Amino acid sequence: METPSISHLTSEDLENVYEPAEDSFLLLDALEKDLEYLREELKPKVCLEIGSGSGIIITSVAKYVQCLCLSTDINAIACSVTKRTASENPPASVDTIQMNLVDGIRKNSVDLLLFNPPYVVTEDEELTSSKMSDGQEITSKNLVYTWAGGENGRRVIDVLLNNLDDILAEGGVLYLLVLKENKPKEIIEIVRKKGFHGEVFMERRIPGEYLYILKIVKKKLCK
Amino acid sequence: MKLSTYNFLTSKSIRGVKVGYPLKLVVSKQDEVEAEFNPTFIERLLPKLEWSTVYLSAEVVGLQEDIPKEFSDDIVSNQDVLQKLHHLLLEVDILEGQLECPETGRVFPIKDGIPNMLLNEDEV
Repeated sequence: METPSISHLTSEDLENVYEPAEDSFLLLDALEKDLEYLREELKPKVCLEIGSGSGIIITSVAKYVQCLCLSTDINAIACSVTKRTASENPPASVDTIQMNLVDGIRKNSVDLLLFNPPYVVTEDEELTSSKMSDGQEITSKNLVYTWAGGENGRRVIDVLLNNLDDILAEGGVLYLLVLKENKPKEIIEIVRKKGFHGEVFMERRIPGEYLYILKIVKKKLCK
Repeated sequence: MKLSTYNFLTSKSIRGVKVGYPLKLVVSKQDEVEAEFNPTFIERLLPKLEWSTVYLSAEVVGLQEDIPKEFSDDIVSNQDVLQKLHHLLLEVDILEGQLECPETGRVFPIKDGIPNMLLNEDEV
């Protein structure tokens, strides 16, 4: 899989949108490693990336896997950057919706869910003190939401995991990027208890961090 | 926003809303993009779509003549209808307009093709 070009991003865009880094590339590598499974077995109808930021991940899926590709982001600038990244990398086509997580998406619709969450362990005050006021684009503060994860960096991750059964379609899969500090083994135990299949799909040490890609699959009902 | 995407959107996250579907779509500016026709993909996507909403969106953009009101298995084997569905769902692009919650009337604006469905804290 060729990494989508993001050369169209301006310096102003990068002040507001998370610039692809090692974590983004690990998620891309994981999708590339699992490409045959995605194309030949999973055959997703709907793929959704939460917090698509620059848009390189969902754009890459849109280029290599035939499915309806959607992305969400709470940040309006990230939404428009994602859309631009898709159109700069034909034939990728991505529809972007400004929303929190998957709040406005019909139940059990998503076959392929991708999430590089805000995973950095932070004091919760960091978020409350820099809250965006309604509708305002506070540039320096938008980025906080891209990385600040609260206690154990799990603030957003846990919200998603609690709702995962309602989000994924039968047989649907989530690729989730986490950090060692997010306690990946505990996450896997949690999802297994909920009846999902969960495994560490890839891991990588980078300077200062140890990253994992967890692959979490919703089992198909036996017929 | 493509009309295939519209089919998946709901306002159920608003506090007190029971179903929040389908959202009322109002279009003030639309465009058409070209997408490669793949009948197999349309066929696979169909079971995921709410048919009544497919028809509703066709009415909104004036393409209801192209789309059968009721879903039937014949659609899958009819190349002509699949082609028209392809156009409706993947080529019509809503640039400006709004989505409205059927229960509360809350309006979600669509700007530059991007619906804003972000809710305020006091709404959830």
